[in-house]
Amino acid sequence: MTDIIIAADAWDEDIEGSLLTWIYPDGAEVKAGDVIAEITVEKLQVDITAPGDGVLSHAINEGDLVSKGGKIGALA
Amino acid sequence: MTLTADQPATTAPARKVVMNRAIREALDWELANDPAVFLMGEDLGKFGGVYGTATGFFDKYGEDRVRDTPISEAGFMAAAAGAAMSGMKPIVELMFIDFMGVCLDPIYNFIAKHAVHTGGKQDMPVLIMAGIGGGYCDASQHSQTLFATFAHLPGLKVVAPTTAYDARGTLHAAMRDPGPVLYLMHKELLGLGLWGTMPEASSNVSDAYFEVPLGKAFVRREGTDITLVGLASMTHVASRVAKTLEGEGYSAEVIDLCSVVPLDRKTVIDSVRKTKRLVVIDEDYRTCGVAGEVIASVVEEIGTELIAPPQRVAFLDTPIPFARPLEKFARPDEDKLLKAAMRTLKHA
Repeated sequence: MTDIIIAADAWDEDIEGSLLTWIYPDGAEVKAGDVIAEITVEKLQVDITAPGDGVLSHAINEGDLVSKGGKIGALA
Repeated sequence: MTLTADQPATTAPARKVVMNRAIREALDWELANDPAVFLMGEDLGKFGGVYGTATGFFDKYGEDRVRDTPISEAGFMAAAAGAAMSGMKPIVELMFIDFMGVCLDPIYNFIAKHAVHTGGKQDMPVLIMAGIGGGYCDASQHSQTLFATFAHLPGLKVVAPTTAYDARGTLHAAMRDPGPVLYLMHKELLGLGLWGTMPEASSNVSDAYFEVPLGKAFVRREGTDITLVGLASMTHVASRVAKTLEGEGYSAEVIDLCSVVPLDRKTVIDSVRKTKRLVVIDEDYRTCGVAGEVIASVVEEIGTELIAPPQRVAFLDTPIPFARPLEKFARPDEDKLLKAAMRTLKHA
């Protein structure tokens, strides 16, 4: 099980973003480097890529607030 | 260049993407596959575009093909016309459709009319992209849709996709068209939090080439009691109202015009022939608008078959207010459409 964590330097300012979209559904098989989610932070969109190969599980829902360093899901 | 529509890969899981990603992937494909294609616009190069449609292109394709322009819409729109006459395929982003006033002469008098001026001997393959729509307190100069302005004068095709899937497919169709296409991106649909995001606009889109035809309307929901016609984000408003009506015991059909020019009158007429009731929701100004054109087109063909007067739900004929309550008062929304639909359904 690998956690999917938002990088501590994913955006500059110390503000929250929100999960814009899960590009792949819960339970989808993804490969390392696939863009699996998008986060929106004010005018920015931040891509979240899969840290490895595996089956995706969502820990949060679209529209939920997220912070740098926070966990949004996991790969099994 | 021979193009075939790739079948979406069946082994990969379906991706759900927001509209601006689908547009970015379509533009990426065009730049990668046709050396005649180049992009130009304000903040489109190093910044990647205010809508995030060209993120990373400046580094990937270089400053000759992804060009930052000065704030000089008349200059770069006219340059696009000249480039197209010289064999290029320019894609020009006019950041907000509201800025069309400063470059209307190159758009209307050169780009739109060139094929006729040359007796059909020269193409004018220009794609003009622009953001449209309001609802987020950006006032009179950054909130308009202006569908009717561009529908009225002949020569341009005009498309306003509703979903990420249609955004990708219509962009490729527009690039295969030998004539100029105005490609309108509703800010509420792009997936940018700043402008509000309608979740319905995200859809499954494979990262492969495919086309969605221009000039074709789509039935988004089938129904038998009333036809609701929408365009861009107002299509999603119509779908939400159709769900509410279902709870009231009414079956509403929802049609997404998708293209303003050519206008697919047949799909609307076929629907109203069945439902015999029609309400059109249009974010553009009410008078002389697309909603009135759709209603006139239906009434000309099957007016005597209607069992209730058709209704328009459109923006009030006023410059778009800045204040949130005033903008909400003037702008079409679910409440206004629901009221018009109920009035139509209860007409004796």
